[in-house]
Amino acid sequence: MFGYIRADRSQLSEREFADYKSVYCALCRQLGVEYSVFARLMLSYDCTFYALLILSLTDEPPSCYTARCRVNPLKKCSYARTSTEALSLAAALSVSSVYYKLIDNIADSGFFSRLLYRLLKPVVGRWNRRAAEKYPDIEQAVHRMSDDQRTVESDPGCSVDRAAEPTAMMLSTVCAAVERHVAIRHSNENTRRILSTFGYFLGRWIYLMDAADDYDKDQSSGGFNPFVLSHIERDAIPEAVLPPLNHALSETLLSYGLLEKGRYDSIIMNILCAACPKAQTAVLSKYQTGEEDEKSL
Amino acid sequence: MKNPYEVLGVSETATDDEIKTAYRNLAKKYHPDNYTDSPLADVAEEKMKEINEAYDTICDTRKNGGAGSSYQGSYGTSSSYTHTAYPEVREYIRTGRLDDAMEVLNGVAENMRTAEWYFLMGMIFSRRGWSEQAYQYFQRAYQMDPGNAEFAAAFNHMNARRTYTTPGYDTAYGGGCSTCDLCTGLMCADCLCGCLRGGGGCC
Repeated sequence: MFGYIRADRSQLSEREFADYKSVYCALCRQLGVEYSVFARLMLSYDCTFYALLILSLTDEPPSCYTARCRVNPLKKCSYARTSTEALSLAAALSVSSVYYKLIDNIADSGFFSRLLYRLLKPVVGRWNRRAAEKYPDIEQAVHRMSDDQRTVESDPGCSVDRAAEPTAMMLSTVCAAVERHVAIRHSNENTRRILSTFGYFLGRWIYLMDAADDYDKDQSSGGFNPFVLSHIERDAIPEAVLPPLNHALSETLLSYGLLEKGRYDSIIMNILCAACPKAQTAVLSKYQTGEEDEKSL
Repeated sequence: MKNPYEVLGVSETATDDEIKTAYRNLAKKYHPDNYTDSPLADVAEEKMKEINEAYDTICDTRKNGGAGSSYQGSYGTSSSYTHTAYPEVREYIRTGRLDDAMEVLNGVAENMRTAEWYFLMGMIFSRRGWSEQAYQYFQRAYQMDPGNAEFAAAFNHMNARRTYTTPGYDTAYGGGCSTCDLCTGLMCADCLCGCLRGGGGCC
């Protein structure tokens, strides 16, 4: 995915940061155990958030163990321990996301990049097949997103809402799938819908962030971008993008508020309430007039 | 039924003031007005009902030594309406049948499209998560009939979400009300008036 969903370390306590890192390291290890040592390169903050959310929804008491880091054996790391499928689900999502990103890149890149992606495809494809065997629903959701995105991009009159739909639907399905694979604390008939709505708006937010971030690149390369398509001028990007970003984030928060609070609630709130708005500001600030003038001085 | 103290997130030894504060925070957070155009409006309403029942049960238990709850569902909901040209569309939206609602509205001739038509289109897109289109419909409904409280509330609510700044998350760890910061102060004040039990202390 895109790496926008990460904690704001400056506002986490030492304990919270240690917990966050333990999930990040545990997911890295899970990728190594289930796929390959090279699959650890697919580790992302977005999928760490997914693992964090699942762990927070379960009834399991927090538990960690210490072991040497495989990437840097001189370092000892703390790893979150779980008997649930939280890490396995997040690992499958990591692998499938990277695989379909690779497929998209093969279609969109120049000759040399395409050659490299073609070399990687069989290896990552093997991991993706393994992920599909374990969690067909997760793999299918990412696959569908990739296909839908291509359909959306071929529509010259595509609206911003429609353009965000594939990513939003993918995360909606992936979050709703948690209810099927993991025993959620105090789960009831509404839990699946809440998770689905939560995922939808988070996915929408991620897509809009990515589209805003890539505006310059897409405008110069002629790549698909809903804001370029809507003829929004570069200077008007913050004004046009901030309201839907705010709205998507507020809906994400409202949905999250309906879930039972879990052990990682403070970290999740840090991400949604502090880190995401900060990320919005960081992405949109590059389009604000005045900054370039300051730089040139 | 869940333990009412658990629902309010307080211990059984909590004081009346602590219970009242917990109830106020939760009522502010889950009030249906915060979720009017959300796909989870019905879930929030259920949650609010559970909180009201828990609060009533605790109050009754402390007052009368365990008499039954007298919950009357007194919090206000914004979904109450009396005059509508599209009762079936509203029912479809309420029950999540958005495609059916859309079909009915699309069948209305362009010259017959009233402010309520635009408002309901906005509701459909909003429930679907397509907030940009929803915003345009709400805006149109409001412009056509600015005196209608329902249309004004939907438009203002959407505006509040679109303009919200960083919520005060650092004060909202465990049981806080950060999502409420998304709404305007006006809305919070408004919903508090509507939902908190009249007068007196908790018990």
